[in-house]
Amino acid sequence: MSLRTHRASTLIGIITTAFTLTSFGTFLLLYYNVHNLIGRVQTNIQIIVYPKDAIEPQQLQGLQKAIQADPAIDSLTLISKNDALQDFKKQFPDEAYLLEGLGTSPFPASLVLKLADSIPSTDAISNLVHRLQQNPVVERVRYNRDWIERLTLVITYMEIVALIVGGVLALASITIIANTVQLAFYTRQEEIEILRLIGGTNLFISMPYLIEGAVIGGLGGTMALGLLRGGFEFFKHKTHTLSVIGGFSSVFEFFPFSLSLLLISTGILLGCIGTLTSMYGWMRFRL
Amino acid sequence: MIQLFHVTKYYEGCLALSDISLRIEKGECVLLTGPSGAGKTSLLKLIFGSEHPDDGQILVQNRNIARLRRADVPYHRRTMGFVLQDFKLLPHRTVFENVALPLIIRGLSSFESRRKVIEALRAVGMEHKQTTHAGVLSAGEQQRACIARAIVNSPIILLADEPTGNLDPQLTTEIAELFKAINARGTTVMMATHNRQVVEQLKGRIVRLDCGHLLSDQGTCA
Repeated sequence: MSLRTHRASTLIGIITTAFTLTSFGTFLLLYYNVHNLIGRVQTNIQIIVYPKDAIEPQQLQGLQKAIQADPAIDSLTLISKNDALQDFKKQFPDEAYLLEGLGTSPFPASLVLKLADSIPSTDAISNLVHRLQQNPVVERVRYNRDWIERLTLVITYMEIVALIVGGVLALASITIIANTVQLAFYTRQEEIEILRLIGGTNLFISMPYLIEGAVIGGLGGTMALGLLRGGFEFFKHKTHTLSVIGGFSSVFEFFPFSLSLLLISTGILLGCIGTLTSMYGWMRFRL
Repeated sequence: MIQLFHVTKYYEGCLALSDISLRIEKGECVLLTGPSGAGKTSLLKLIFGSEHPDDGQILVQNRNIARLRRADVPYHRRTMGFVLQDFKLLPHRTVFENVALPLIIRGLSSFESRRKVIEALRAVGMEHKQTTHAGVLSAGEQQRACIARAIVNSPIILLADEPTGNLDPQLTTEIAELFKAINARGTTVMMATHNRQVVEQLKGRIVRLDCGHLLSDQGTCA
């Protein structure tokens, strides 16, 4: 009812919330995609375990089982000495003659480990590598520690930045909604006075404003989602033709349904918080 | 019904009421008179619970208003009606909706509300205007609607702060008659006014205030 009566201030509230949530959503979308991208790159990171030459088949099986049991490991591929030789020949056909005459393959057998999709911490990977190195049947373990550590550091920094930027933008949203509701309070001061005069409780008086704040926040969130979707499709369409990031464009994803719902819910929550903040400041009562 | 014991009230250091003691019985019609700034409105506000006394005690239906918790104030207000000079109606709502507001707040069923609203509107002669928006009513009609809203809950006490302040003599007579009729039905009426016409018409107990002091109290004339 009051939303319809005070169309202008309501519309301003919805639009400002939408823009604030769009800024927040843009950052969230960027974070979501970078996180996905890093996750994909990380799954390609390999740890290579070289068993000792004199390892017994039973010992090798035991080692494989022990590695597969680790939650940080997604899959394991055994490359036998012969497989390694064949790989070499395939990769360097011109140099294959160098190995002719050798009775057995000079290459060591190896176990290639792929990390799980959920990014394990560097500590977990280091512990795994350390455990493998301590294993008496393992000759050595090779993995790009620096690369993994840098990757994890990037993710950590991104999470911190996301938290700060998210917090600042959420605060901005609350302030904007609080101001909008406060404006509504000023325009409806008379109405509130009347309700108090006839014995309206604080809850009775504030409920419509709380609902209004939630509606403004919810509509703002929905509008922000629409803007983000439009912007995302436009960006994807434009980058598809660019050779530099064109290859990546198929990797970019919009929020899944749960995150979209979360954005709208955030709008509703911010609307309610904004209203409560405004009420507390303006009406000076505790709810 | 209403008892004030040595009530004192200050506004930002300025004395509004000084050591006021009063006892008002059920069904009385009390007229608070005095010049502007005498403390009439302050006294009504204290009884209504929108202000707290700085000193003294106020008992309304044996309930100490001075110690009333903030959360209990709305429930205290529901036991009484309040009529103001500037009407305080919601202009975008109909007369019916305005009068029904106290009943909505109390959570009455729509059937019961309808019956009570019609009854209250009939009492003030506004039954035919129930679908009209409050904003388009004349001053007299607005005050009638306001009185209907104040009595719709069948309050034991009706407080009025200069209810004829914005009305011409003819309308003043009509409104004063309404208060007289409400009082005749047993409702305690307490009205702040400096309108001689109203004072003469209502023939109530006259309590004179000046600069926050109680000058005279002419006793019960209900």
